[in-house]
Amino acid sequence: MRIACPFCGERENGEFTYLGDAAPKRPNFVVDGGESPERIEDAFYDYVYLRDNLAGVMREYWYHGGGCRSWLVAERNTVTHEFIAVTAAPGAGAASAMRAGE
Amino acid sequence: MADFSWNTQSPLERALVPGHHGVTGTQVGVMLEEVRDINLVQVMARRGKVVETVKAAKKVFGVEPPSTPGTAAGRHATLIWSGPDQFIAFSARSERDHFSKLSDAFAGVASLSDQSDGRCLIRIGGPRARQALSKFCSLDLDDRAFPPGAAATTSIDHTATNIWRGADSSDGHAVFHILVFTSFADSLWHTIQDAALEYGVQASLAHTA
Ligand SMILES: [Zn+2]
Repeated sequence: MRIACPFCGERENGEFTYLGDAAPKRPNFVVDGGESPERIEDAFYDYVYLRDNLAGVMREYWYHGGGCRSWLVAERNTVTHEFIAVTAAPGAGAASAMRAGE
Repeated sequence: MADFSWNTQSPLERALVPGHHGVTGTQVGVMLEEVRDINLVQVMARRGKVVETVKAAKKVFGVEPPSTPGTAAGRHATLIWSGPDQFIAFSARSERDHFSKLSDAFAGVASLSDQSDGRCLIRIGGPRARQALSKFCSLDLDDRAFPPGAAATTSIDHTATNIWRGADSSDGHAVFHILVFTSFADSLWHTIQDAALEYGVQASLAHTA
């Protein structure tokens, strides 16, 4: 299987490491109910432990450790293993992350 | 109190045995060289400072660093792409304050790391270099995919390497350069030499000009 790194081009999958779902965002204390200890605890529990087990297309973090050492976001079909798109994760290279937690 | 004396020595001190190896006779399919006396400086743009880093590089080397996998021939140095917004400045070992001069030139815009003694440079040429490389390198090294001036960061034998193609030799064969961490150089040298034995290997030491 080959994965197209947006920086390096097509590479064998052995050069990449899988992290997991790119959807979870680190809870923001104010937005996610910092005034309520239960709500913020729930939000963190969800962020740290709970994952959806999708059959179909999902966005995932992959790391090109055997190449350019960049974090990437891949859109992959978990049923067919087809990679639909691979883009740089926010903050790759010298770019600024779009917002905190990403 | 014990006295310590530090001697710099090549990581290939034992692995590199100059001369002919492999097939009997004098056939040389692969020329394998360690290139010594190198200067290597890793330059990484700081967050949001890509434009400034490119500008500083242009001032020092007379060329812009490659923004995609490849090399750029600059003043007294070759700039090798090593990842997004970063490159390696490769040159012949020269004056002692080479690194501090570069540090000054990139002050505040890029982070620099002196890798001159951290990496080992191996050069592979000859008519069968590509066949030997294809046994352990998963990149497409065909002329169309990897012409002179192409570069890549890739895993070879589970080891992080920088590989680039220089100018062809005078007899028209492709020449590949591989940078590897010094601690993995011995192992990688054996891998390369073993892969090339069937073509006949000429192993030697080279020094940068
Ligand atoms: Zn990459």
